[in-house]
Amino acid sequence: MSSTGPAKGESPAIDISGVTKNYGKVTALDGLDLEVARGEVHGFLGPNGAGKSTTMRILLGILRHDAGTVRMLGGDPWSDAVALHRRLAYVPGDVELWPNLTGGEAIDLFARLRGGVDAAKRDELVERFDLDPRKKGRTYSKGNRQKVALISALASDVDLLLLDEPTAGLDPLMEVVFQECVREAKEAGVTVLLSSHILAQVEILADRISIIRKGTVVESGTLQDLRHLSRTTVTALTDKPLTELARRQGVHDLHAEGQQTRFEVDAEYLPTIMRDLASHDVQALTATPPTLEQLLLRHYGDELGGAGSNGSHDGGSASNGSRKRRAGKARAGRNEVAS
Amino acid sequence: MTTATERPGGAAPPESTSHQRGALTGTGTLLRFMVRRDRVRLPAWVLGLTVLWAYFANAIGAVMDAESLAGMATMAANPVMALIGGPGYGFDDITVARLVAGFYALYLMLGAAFMSITTVSRHTRVEEQTGRAELVRANVLGRHAQLTAALIMATVMNLLVAGLTGLVTLGSTIEPPPEAGPSLLMGAGIGAAGLAFAGVAAITTQLSAFSRAGSGIAGAVLGAAFVVRGIGDMSTTQNGGLGWLSWLSPLGWSQQTAPFTLDRWWPLLLSVALAVAGAAVGYALQTRRDLAAGVLPDRLGSARAATWLRSTLALAYRLQRPSLVGWSMAMVLAGVTFGAFAQPMQEGAADMPEEIVTVMGGAEGILEGYLGFMGIYFALIVAVYVVLSVQSLRGEEQGVRAEPVLATAVSRSSWLGSWTAVTAAGALWLLLLAGLGQGVGAVLGTGDWGLFGPVVLGNAVHVAAAWLFLGLAVALYGLAPRLLGLVWIVFVYGTVLSLFGEMLEFDRAVLDTSPFQHVGQHPADEISWGAVGILTAVGALLVGAGAAGFRRRDLVTA
Repeated sequence: MSSTGPAKGESPAIDISGVTKNYGKVTALDGLDLEVARGEVHGFLGPNGAGKSTTMRILLGILRHDAGTVRMLGGDPWSDAVALHRRLAYVPGDVELWPNLTGGEAIDLFARLRGGVDAAKRDELVERFDLDPRKKGRTYSKGNRQKVALISALASDVDLLLLDEPTAGLDPLMEVVFQECVREAKEAGVTVLLSSHILAQVEILADRISIIRKGTVVESGTLQDLRHLSRTTVTALTDKPLTELARRQGVHDLHAEGQQTRFEVDAEYLPTIMRDLASHDVQALTATPPTLEQLLLRHYGDELGGAGSNGSHDGGSASNGSRKRRAGKARAGRNEVAS
Repeated sequence: MTTATERPGGAAPPESTSHQRGALTGTGTLLRFMVRRDRVRLPAWVLGLTVLWAYFANAIGAVMDAESLAGMATMAANPVMALIGGPGYGFDDITVARLVAGFYALYLMLGAAFMSITTVSRHTRVEEQTGRAELVRANVLGRHAQLTAALIMATVMNLLVAGLTGLVTLGSTIEPPPEAGPSLLMGAGIGAAGLAFAGVAAITTQLSAFSRAGSGIAGAVLGAAFVVRGIGDMSTTQNGGLGWLSWLSPLGWSQQTAPFTLDRWWPLLLSVALAVAGAAVGYALQTRRDLAAGVLPDRLGSARAATWLRSTLALAYRLQRPSLVGWSMAMVLAGVTFGAFAQPMQEGAADMPEEIVTVMGGAEGILEGYLGFMGIYFALIVAVYVVLSVQSLRGEEQGVRAEPVLATAVSRSSWLGSWTAVTAAGALWLLLLAGLGQGVGAVLGTGDWGLFGPVVLGNAVHVAAAWLFLGLAVALYGLAPRLLGLVWIVFVYGTVLSLFGEMLEFDRAVLDTSPFQHVGQHPADEISWGAVGILTAVGALLVGAGAAGFRRRDLVTA
């Protein structure tokens, strides 16, 4: 992943430090730090209500932050909004269109207001996303409204794409088209900030990932760096149950029932365990990555968690130390101290 | 299914011969649910109309002595007043009750009609459009249950309005005290108009897949009903041959009951028949269409934006265009209509009550006075347009359609400024059209081409007052969007002073606080260009303040 690091002497595409945003008594962002290097696809991961959209909107100059500093493409998102917006395109998670304007009109309008539309690119994208641009805005489903915003953003010649849960409502086929498009944008040198609450979605595309929780970034790094976070769930069908695996380092919660064995394994031990499995005549095997919810539950004791369950699920001292290091200035709060 | 079992819910199995019963299954439950949802809305409409009627019924008698009543009668015989009031039954021997029934009841009928249209739309098409109807219909529920429940609800609301307004009439301070029969007929006429439009709405909500289009069509029918009976009533007061037109309008039927004069109930049978027929057609259309679909097809539009659609100004124009088209047509129509009354107004000046003649600038210059006064009237209407436009702007923000635009290379000032500029130009355009219409109408009646230019100019200069309201609305929107509604208070204040201030003999200093009071009622008065300049400048300053506020505040986000 060395190619994605910031070039020497060039400022990051996005540099947020210690940003706070309050809505009355509610704190939406609580000392948020986020750095996105130029040319990278940065996954911005967090559960609903963690502050992803608020961050995006501060970057867009639509909301004002109360404290901290924000720089984007070398400018101030609030005071340099217009100049910066020529160089970026934004896709919200909930696209609203004008009832009387067609999808095609909206695509053209947004792109022109940004500075121009690449007509060939636009037609190609309309084709790829399988959108009928002649329909009126009020007749589109949520997924189709999403396509309108995506096509308009991707057909614009910009340096930065701010994508806030852009594929909500898209079917899996279109999700694949979207992933292709983001890869093409990256090859063209575009920086992408892609938010999602689904880990798997971001994993596929992102060079680096930041995890936001309760208005604070709690993890940030390459996928490699964050591997300590992922614990894969493995289900294997073998002649004999694999109960002896339970004693191996990195294996957790092993349940064996007849021929089926189910366990979780820390990412760093996955290669060893897979080699072991190979010698056991595996007839069927599934491996599922953890969801963001599982991950946050395991590491921060969110929702269901207390200090006890947090401790019992902890994968080992290595991951613990790594997490504390990564979290850096951003204190994760009570659970951090508890663990 | 060979053994058809009786189910507790009364749901007939599909094979049942009792088709109608199946189609209505669940109506009662749904109706209770609707009443629960409308526990505030329902009483608000019913009591609101009742209170308004109580005001009319008691206030008119309180302010009118025998002399002014006679003046009112002469006035009401004028075609303009017939257009906006009614046929004027019994006005040759006028009483307060006859005046109230013959003139003010029309506005209660309009109110009841709006109540019915919105109630039917809200509980049928809006539910389908939002997808909630699908969830509801997936339960044990007949095809026509929702429409039926909505119609029952609208009927009950109109019955309540009919009963309460009838009782209010009976219990009012009108002298001589009203009798029970005519009083209840009065109320029944109001309720019957509402009921008839529930039937109209039962049809129009089937037509389009979108509630606004359906309600719009029903509103257009209501507008046509108003105009058609207006022309009929005008013809009647002038002894013309078009009196039969009044009988083509549901509003006309209610007015033809002539409470306190002829006291006939039978015209209301026509209203009930229309309601029943409307419901029947509504059911038939509903049977032929899919859930959430309309009878009218939704047309495809352009796959590309027109080349001119490339700036916030163009977008603001594109978004305001449909409403401007509608307003433009209304302005021309109303302008020509009111202009055409210039001639009869001049002829009837001698018979009109003194107060009215005073407002119009005295018997000498009644023609110019009337046309000048109409300029104020249109300025008020355009002020409404302006405020509604700023409310739509707020709708853009609240509907999260402003956010993606402001995420492009568009500054907040340019977004707000473009919308404001289009509305400001629209206000001038509408007043020019109104002036043009009145000019044409007045010239057609009087044959005096000399009126044309002054009438157009007299209307157009009032744009300064409309711009002041634009500034006020934009300032509130930019600085404190939640307080935008306050502009209506200023509007009502200005309206009352401008329309009734002189009649009520307010102090000059008080009258001068109305923004509509300063430009001058040209051609009767000279135009005060100083006032035009000051109003425009204050409006511009307020827009500036609003833009400054808007640049500083957070956008409303979803």
